[in-house]
Amino acid sequence: MKSLNKILTGIIGIIFSLLVGALLIKIQGNSPINAYKALYDYGLGSWFSITSTLNNSTPLILTGIAAAIAFSSNVNNLGQPGQLIIGALSAALLGYYLPFPGWFGIITILILSGIIGGLYASIAGILKKLYKMDEMLTTLMLNFIADYLTLYLATYPFLDKKSYVPATKMIKKEYFLPSFKYLNSSFFIAIFVVLISYFVVKYFKKGYEWRMMGHNPDFSRIGGCDNEQNLMWVMFYTGFLSGLAGALLILGGTQHRFIKGIGANYGWDGVMLSIVGANGILETSFFSLFFGFLKSGGVGMEFEASIPSEFIMVLQATIVLLVVSTRSVFSYYGDKIKAYSKTQKVVKAHE
Amino acid sequence: MNNILISIIRDSFSSATPILLSALGGTFTFYANVFNISMEGMMLIGAFFGVLGSFYFQSWVMGFLFALISGVVASLIFSLFAILLKTDEFLTGIGMNMLALGGTTYLLRNLFNVKGAFISPQIKSLPTWDIPGLNKIPVVSNILNKHPFIVYIAIILAFFVDFIIFHTKFGLRLRATGEDQETARSLGINPEKIKFSSILLSGIFSAAAGTFLSLGYVTLFSENMSNGRGWISLAIIVLVRGRPLGILLMSLIFGFFESAAFSLQNINIPSQITSMIPYIVTILALFIYSVYKEKSTRSAKKEVEKIKEI
Repeated sequence: MKSLNKILTGIIGIIFSLLVGALLIKIQGNSPINAYKALYDYGLGSWFSITSTLNNSTPLILTGIAAAIAFSSNVNNLGQPGQLIIGALSAALLGYYLPFPGWFGIITILILSGIIGGLYASIAGILKKLYKMDEMLTTLMLNFIADYLTLYLATYPFLDKKSYVPATKMIKKEYFLPSFKYLNSSFFIAIFVVLISYFVVKYFKKGYEWRMMGHNPDFSRIGGCDNEQNLMWVMFYTGFLSGLAGALLILGGTQHRFIKGIGANYGWDGVMLSIVGANGILETSFFSLFFGFLKSGGVGMEFEASIPSEFIMVLQATIVLLVVSTRSVFSYYGDKIKAYSKTQKVVKAHE
Repeated sequence: MNNILISIIRDSFSSATPILLSALGGTFTFYANVFNISMEGMMLIGAFFGVLGSFYFQSWVMGFLFALISGVVASLIFSLFAILLKTDEFLTGIGMNMLALGGTTYLLRNLFNVKGAFISPQIKSLPTWDIPGLNKIPVVSNILNKHPFIVYIAIILAFFVDFIIFHTKFGLRLRATGEDQETARSLGINPEKIKFSSILLSGIFSAAAGTFLSLGYVTLFSENMSNGRGWISLAIIVLVRGRPLGILLMSLIFGFFESAAFSLQNINIPSQITSMIPYIVTILALFIYSVYKEKSTRSAKKEVEKIKEI
């Protein structure tokens, strides 16, 4: 499917789901127009809203392309939530204990947390490579394990005693990522990583092997690629991206510490985004901005139109279902129409 | 000591029930070759609507009924996308799970105005059964008697589902559709219909599992309370290749580990560590399964080579 086609079908699906959302708001007794106006005002209405949209979309971009690269390589890595939270915890601990100065420290933290996230994802990769265990189930189980493990570490060994909820101590001030007019620099790091990933997948030999593995594993094997080895690399790389997303949440977010629930739903949002973006890296990043818009706009809907911000979660799921079904309907019935017109031509030529 | 052991075994039955029920539902879709990963979400939906019905009508019957209806509706939505609109089943499943998570959280906030968990004395829990003959036997009675009635029904259902899948016309058609959809169609079976009914059954079973979670196991609804049980049941189905009696055995083993892990909290092991155990056990079980499978395929290959040599 062409890139424009992916984005267009995505937008059609989003329009449908906004209509469904309007219906839900109406049933609830609120005015959809007011609600969507609040969504717009808080998501795009002013410079502050735009920056909060971009800040919100930062982790989504990274988990989104992580899922997109994994899925387009035929690797069912559903472990983004776990890898993200492991990366976030490592960033929080490194940020507190690391002795390095300023920028050098930040770069070290980002890379190390990414690597730790990648290694965590590699557990599933190793199990798949050596024992042919289904990576979907193992990554899912590793999510829950990561969840409880980080919670344990934040509740007992690394607890900040002054805090009321399970949380680690705040990282050093010099490691905070700076903001420019409310826009946090972590957004630029995310964009930079997107461009790198795009080039890796599009122009590198490894990226080509990954894509071939996604298109047809048998073809890539016969062509001489080691599929198991590539799966390991995909696992590590996508885990790295999710871990990096977690680290940026700590260094660039508002809390600057690991706190219970900091991972929110970013991991699963990434999975949804890669579905909406049909596993394309640029398309997924594009829709990440839209999901970021929904997140910051959702706050506005809660303030202005008293619609709980959880409504956004419903809207996101509806978007996923409707975008995917729009696409499948287009391709299924499009093929049928094409085949029909072809037979008509053949029949006419015959006559 | 004895008392602890008895309570662990007793609790393993109630821990096993939600996994057992949703896995039994999922086995229908497994045999119909529908890649159904939405048990997790359907369980959550069932749990929520069970509490909703029980709260508004103050009766567990209505709660159970609400949950079953919600399961039917959820599976209708799933089939609308997966069968009618030909959407990829995996993607539909992820969408459904997210819809369930978002929808229940949203409704929790919207209807009851709470975040996190909803507890109320108005929620009536499922009745427990006092089985006449059983309550006279000393130890067995402590373990098996006075569970919420779904526990007994789930165990009976395991045998019943086994009978349906392997000894009835519907089961034969189900498996035929799963083996090869087009061949089944050529024999006059409507595979869409079969797939739809398998999804419907899976939705109803998972919703019942959810009701047990929110009205039997505890009497409350909390955000994302299914907490991976749907995924564990998916793993179990893979492990036993869908055999209902295997599912019964495996869920009891998982239930045992869950309740044993829970009782470890009594000796001051933090709950975060004990909560990890079911997921670690799942990975271990998958590990043992694949090592065993590797061995058996290797020995099968050797046999083939031997035959060739002869």
